[in-house]
Amino acid sequence: MSKTDFLSVVPLFILTSAAILILFSIAVKRDHKVIYVITTVSLAIDFIFLVWYKATATWVIEPLFIFDGFGTFNTGLILLTALAVTMISYAYFEQREERKEEYYILLILATLGAIVLVISKHFVSLFLGLEILSVSLYSMIAYLRKRARSDEAGIKYLILAAFSSAFLLFGMALVYTAVGTMEFSKIASHLSSLEAMPVIVFAGFGLMTVGIGFKLGVVPFHMWAADVYEGAPAPVTAFIATVSKGGMMALLVRFFTAIDGYQYHGLILIFTIIAIASMFIGNFLALRQGNVKRVLAYSSIAHLGYLLVAFLAGGTLGIEAVSFYLVAYFITSTGAFGILATLSDRDRDAELLDDYRGLFWTRPWTATMFTSMLLSLAGIPLTAGFIGKFYLVAAGVREHLWLLVVMLAVNSAIGLYYYIKIIATMMEKNEVERPASNELNPSVYVVSGVTMAILTILLIWIGVHPNGMMVLIHELLALD
Amino acid sequence: MDQVPTEAGLILAGVLFTLGLISVLIRRNIIFMLISVEIMLNAAGLAFVVAGAKWSQADGQVMFIFILTMAAAEVSVGLALILQIYHQLKTLDSDAANKMKG
Repeated sequence: MSKTDFLSVVPLFILTSAAILILFSIAVKRDHKVIYVITTVSLAIDFIFLVWYKATATWVIEPLFIFDGFGTFNTGLILLTALAVTMISYAYFEQREERKEEYYILLILATLGAIVLVISKHFVSLFLGLEILSVSLYSMIAYLRKRARSDEAGIKYLILAAFSSAFLLFGMALVYTAVGTMEFSKIASHLSSLEAMPVIVFAGFGLMTVGIGFKLGVVPFHMWAADVYEGAPAPVTAFIATVSKGGMMALLVRFFTAIDGYQYHGLILIFTIIAIASMFIGNFLALRQGNVKRVLAYSSIAHLGYLLVAFLAGGTLGIEAVSFYLVAYFITSTGAFGILATLSDRDRDAELLDDYRGLFWTRPWTATMFTSMLLSLAGIPLTAGFIGKFYLVAAGVREHLWLLVVMLAVNSAIGLYYYIKIIATMMEKNEVERPASNELNPSVYVVSGVTMAILTILLIWIGVHPNGMMVLIHELLALD
Repeated sequence: MDQVPTEAGLILAGVLFTLGLISVLIRRNIIFMLISVEIMLNAAGLAFVVAGAKWSQADGQVMFIFILTMAAAEVSVGLALILQIYHQLKTLDSDAANKMKG
């Protein structure tokens, strides 16, 4: 193992050692605060290391990993999101669960899995990353054992995720049977030497699409999304919505670019149908929901549909658009679920629309932050969501994907309705005096409050001055 | 001795996979759903072994070991969850564990 090999995988080492350290520290003494600090510090160190160790060129560890600009960018994004989720988790779990320490091990391992996923260039590392991520998520979803619905959400996710993994694996096996290698680049070179794609490879890609589609939660593989979002604890929901889906999206972009899937019209057609169906069905189902968590679940289905537009456009601009949109989407989703977590009381999450009635009059700052998150999800100017959507449209227009671009515009208009509905509810005067829930010492909430404020500022900052982020993405992707 | 043809192995894997798939969809008992998913995973594993044999590489078998490990991890979490559900609902009918709608 050369020195560069070692330095490249240090981010993975830091995470694994943090998980082991927490394990030992729990064996010595259960202290939520200590565990929380270890988690925060290790994630922060990991990110600082990533920034400090500026890889100047793409580095490959044969045959499993590739460390390029795209991978580094997504790794950083995943680490920062995991950090934000940790910040939200402290106040949330402090008041809800007696054994809250193991949650952080699972969180770190899930982050590790997502990072392995975004730097993989081989079916084995893809599978490994995906399963580290998924198996940690099963237990995170069902973590609050006393809640009736968390078990249900956990088992639903487990059965469906294992089901989709089986599809993914069978697809991989078919591709491997046909081409005799599991490395993305070698599959590509083998396929390009053939005149037409063999039926067995096409079937393999089809099965893999089912597996990937499940993880992304796009129509028609979206059935789990709403139930899991509703049943899982709010910080975990934030994690699934961002890291799990974003990691899979990054992998999809890498795989599709590597095998140059754009030349196969069958695959393009399948993904176009998936994108359009996700946008429409996600938005229409969100319209008739009264549960904020479910609204956000369906809206995330629609957002993945938007992302697929830039993915289908492809090329440098397409990948840049996907990266930028992921940043905007990560910030807004983490923020929205974070606020949901701070508003929740001991017994249940603040998920009904009624919980938000009159929020502007009782907690004006929280309501303002939530409003800006929702406006960004809707894609209103001056927020990161708007610039992200603009980028997607630009990528689509350049490749003349008129149908998809028109669908995106129509759906943004539909989506506006249910975001505005939540905001309007927060504006209403609340006549019924709600009994004050027995909350913890307010100092516990300071950390989550500060995190929310930072996320809101970032959201508006990127919305007003998107240049910095654009240049960063552009430079990282240009790395070769 | 003649080798088993690749197609035969793949067809067997495909049949197993389909059986598992049908069984997940029609079974109502959560434990049987879990077993069916395991059958699907093992079918995929078998396909990997067949493919590895075709190319005479170890990769297929390596992948199979990974699949076994992952399936074991999944079952252990799954059974723990099933115990929890049984405590709460006193049944393993998957229709009973369906409180969330919409």
